[in-house]
Amino acid sequence: MGRVTIKGLLAKKFRLALTSLAVVLGVAFMAGTFVLTDTLGNVFDSLFAKASQGVDAVVRSREPFKADTGPGSNNQQNRPPVPENLVDQVEQVKGVARAQGVIQGTALVFEKNQKDFVQHAAPTLGVAWFPKGQEVAQAFQNVEGRRPADADEVALDRKTASDGHLRIGDPVKVSFLTVPPKVYTLVGTFEFGGDENGLAGATMAAFAPTEAQRVSDRVGRWDRIDVRADPGVSQTEVTDHIRSALSAAGDAKKYQALTADAFAKEQADTIKDNLSFFNIFLLVFALISLFVGAFIIYNTFSITVQQRARELGLLRALGASGRQVVGSVALEAIVVGIFSSLVGLVLGIAIVKPLEGLFSLFGADLPSGSLQVEARTIVVSLVVGTLITFVSAISPARRAARIPPIAALREQALTVREGRRRYVWGAVFGVVGVVMLFAGLFGGQNGTNSAILVGVAAFCVFVGVAMLSPLIARPAARLLTWPAARIKSVTGLLARQNAMRNPRRTASTSAALMIGLALVTFIAIVGASLKSTFADAIDNEIRADFVFSPKNFQGFSPEAAAAVRRELPGSTVVQFRGGQVLVNGSSENVTGASSNFARVADLKLRNGFDRQSYDGGGVVAYKDAEVGGKKVRLGQTLRFTFPKGEKDVRVAGIFTDKKALPGNGDYVLSLKDWSLFNEPLDQYVLIVKPDGTTTHQAESTIKRIADRFGGISADNKADFKDRQLAQFDQILNLMYVLLLFAVIIALIGIMNTLALSIYERTHEIGLLRAVGMSRVQTRRMVRGEALIVAVFGSLLGLAIGLLFGRALVAALSDQGIGFSLPVGQLVVFLILAGLAGLASGVWPARRAARLDILRAVNTE
Amino acid sequence: MTTTGILPTSTAIAARAVDASKIYGTGEAQVRALDGINVDFARNHFTAIMGPSGSGKSTLLHCLAGLDRLTSGQIFLGDVEISAASEKQLTLIRRDRVGFIFQSYNLIPTLNAVENMTLPMSLAGTRPDRDWLNKIVDIVGLRDRLSHRPNELSGGQQQRVAVARALMSRPEIIFADEPTGNLDSRAGAEILSFMQSAVRDLGQTIVMVTHDPGAASYADRVVFLADGKIVDEMQAPTADAVLDRMKQLGG
Repeated sequence: MGRVTIKGLLAKKFRLALTSLAVVLGVAFMAGTFVLTDTLGNVFDSLFAKASQGVDAVVRSREPFKADTGPGSNNQQNRPPVPENLVDQVEQVKGVARAQGVIQGTALVFEKNQKDFVQHAAPTLGVAWFPKGQEVAQAFQNVEGRRPADADEVALDRKTASDGHLRIGDPVKVSFLTVPPKVYTLVGTFEFGGDENGLAGATMAAFAPTEAQRVSDRVGRWDRIDVRADPGVSQTEVTDHIRSALSAAGDAKKYQALTADAFAKEQADTIKDNLSFFNIFLLVFALISLFVGAFIIYNTFSITVQQRARELGLLRALGASGRQVVGSVALEAIVVGIFSSLVGLVLGIAIVKPLEGLFSLFGADLPSGSLQVEARTIVVSLVVGTLITFVSAISPARRAARIPPIAALREQALTVREGRRRYVWGAVFGVVGVVMLFAGLFGGQNGTNSAILVGVAAFCVFVGVAMLSPLIARPAARLLTWPAARIKSVTGLLARQNAMRNPRRTASTSAALMIGLALVTFIAIVGASLKSTFADAIDNEIRADFVFSPKNFQGFSPEAAAAVRRELPGSTVVQFRGGQVLVNGSSENVTGASSNFARVADLKLRNGFDRQSYDGGGVVAYKDAEVGGKKVRLGQTLRFTFPKGEKDVRVAGIFTDKKALPGNGDYVLSLKDWSLFNEPLDQYVLIVKPDGTTTHQAESTIKRIADRFGGISADNKADFKDRQLAQFDQILNLMYVLLLFAVIIALIGIMNTLALSIYERTHEIGLLRAVGMSRVQTRRMVRGEALIVAVFGSLLGLAIGLLFGRALVAALSDQGIGFSLPVGQLVVFLILAGLAGLASGVWPARRAARLDILRAVNTE
Repeated sequence: MTTTGILPTSTAIAARAVDASKIYGTGEAQVRALDGINVDFARNHFTAIMGPSGSGKSTLLHCLAGLDRLTSGQIFLGDVEISAASEKQLTLIRRDRVGFIFQSYNLIPTLNAVENMTLPMSLAGTRPDRDWLNKIVDIVGLRDRLSHRPNELSGGQQQRVAVARALMSRPEIIFADEPTGNLDSRAGAEILSFMQSAVRDLGQTIVMVTHDPGAASYADRVVFLADGKIVDEMQAPTADAVLDRMKQLGG
């Protein structure tokens, strides 16, 4: 039996290739995702390992608390700096050869023109570089020129220098988070860890130690201390010595020591945590592609089992048992699965570079390194690819077993009668899916659980609709082809009849496209709703002539707002910040806002807002904010834990509308207490110009200020809105591109099904050609069928996407998100899907038109 | 004799093969399916082509019908040389000037009987002549089966639809390839009488390939092929005479 299967497969190499492609692409996507994230992880592993060359131990403050406000929340550095005198204290410890302060600051380096800054969408680091022979960390290598000796000199990593067209001796403008920008002289360049790309895309400016402290707001302090041990003392030993010394001095509560290896691993792990979020994000799209591929496999096997009914019947007649027939089909699936997974794996490794290119197209430059193909990647790709192929083929294989031996003698292929069971199961899946959708969205689950529930709900609905859709495939095909019927186009009518003759095949072919379109529709609807709500909030709930926003993601110096107050007297200037704190012990995002926030942002405050209390260090809480399971009340006192200490904060007001706020926090905190954060940075500054000034005057002043600081975008309100919406669009577009994979697989499915159908109808097509159908008409007929299948699937997808999108927006309505239906966009998607469907019919159509009439007519 | 449905034409010859050769393969494996055949098929005649297996009779029919191409020589339909026609022209010729009846699976399964009958006209985008359709439907006796799909018709009924389709477009010539090969003798006889009356009463021209002497006896003339050559012909054949001749040919 096994030999028969393999020979049969090899005899139909072409069909095998087309079927495999559905699995290959999905597996490639998955394998590519793994390789990409492993490669990135490896880049950071080696980056942090290099950074700690020459270091044996690290001493730093303890983290005051661990903030956890969900995946993707900004990981703010909560650890306070350490005082300078701790360095001397550590240096006295037994086994310590040298202890040295480290600055991990931010410095934005400008290009030679002093207007644009050098940036690769990665951190912009500012560090201290000690005189030759004194430094502990040996990360700086291949130095050209010399190291900065005084407060007016700077050294840059070689890539930043060359990207900024800067040469040694040139003036370099550098701007900082908290202190005003300054022009330095470039005295040297270096490579980090001996590799030009050693910084993984980050830029690095190195200053003389005291200057590094000044520009990072660390005068008299360090971010941490690097320690080198005496020769012969191990990392663990020196770390233990420091720990005991810290305990002895009573500082063990405040400071901690760890080995350099542990520190490097911790840093790499933090980045890998973020990478795993990215990994999961991509894997979801890979799984969607595989799911779509599963439909194609199911369909192909169903068709080939039906087409081979005679052959399988003959096997039965010759004495093969039903089980053997199932086994032969299942074996075929496994062979196809293993083959496709292997090809997919190889292709996956090959698509890593294009995938990186895709991300850089969307503004995320990923550092590249040597590709990491781990055993896990190989195993998971092979297992998942093979398993999915096998599972998809089970039901067609079981159907093969029911083929009676008599089928061998029958002239026409068996027409499969559809059992009621399929529809019952379809209905069950559909109902369960919808129930899970609503449970997930409205059942009060936390974010992750509700995302999983909605995901499973989508799976169930897709399967359910795919099972039920043969019921409506016939009427739908009839409805979709009414224009053809009206003009009495015979090719159109033949296409309609072909689409209707096997509704189950039409339905499952279109189901693959349905999934892609449903997700695209879902994203379009949710995106449009968020965007329109957001745009609406900017239009109606924010009053500002100009907005400062950061060009990179870290915020900017409060000095910018101070400069506006100074240089544009009479203007209203409101600063907004973001941070993480503990409120009565639980992690919360807080927004900081100047006390006059109500003049620019309408938070719809309830009566009783006490501005004086807010100014004096109070907080305004969202109406649904809860502490310990109870709603926060006006006048209540809450315990806030900041990175630099704890404080009781009075609730000075209750607000009811979050939309005008940046971020999603439940608390708006006075800026008075913001000094308890390590980095008091502004995220947005809203500015209303003074009455006496023209818009033009005000704008030029404001742009000038922004230019002075660098790293700030100064926009009028309309531009600000566009900029924010463009960020939304970028994310949406990225998701569309990732879904394109699934759509392409679905189109391959249409192509495959049509090719198989044409093979099945060879005789009939020959007959049509013999009685006078032209090649053009033949092609038109096949493309027509492709169009019907594509539009049918797209419409189903549109309906499902609409259901899910509408439901999610409804679930978000308590956060003020309003529903918006992007009709134009959806129509465009539908048209594009139709065109893509037509395109997928081109090749089978050409094949059909090329059939040799004589041979076709003589084929049974 | 009526002339209903016959197109006015300039010649009395409906189809003609001139030095027609068809060679398959090369070198040692070369097979001469047609070996310099010259034959005319008169208009308003029912001609049968007979011969043993491998004599080239089907190849000749396919080449005459423009379904296959000659290696050398010429084929004329009326005064048009179809051996020189392009693929596009051939499609138009098949659609507008030629009718086909095959051995089996003659019909499009998704179309009902009447749709199958009018298919060539639908493909050409012309309207079928209602009166003509009615007349033909009555001749083949399928009035009560018009809306049936092929799988709801018996084999004989399916072939009658095929005959009706061939007649519908009033082609200059109808080619039939073993039209009764898959039918029982009663249904076969029925089909053959329809074909005969199409020639006698409607003025049609039919060329039929068959290996059945009984079927050939319905024709006005029988052409005998052997080894790709015309070896004999017989006017007003009877089944017995044809059978004798075939025995001599070793069929």
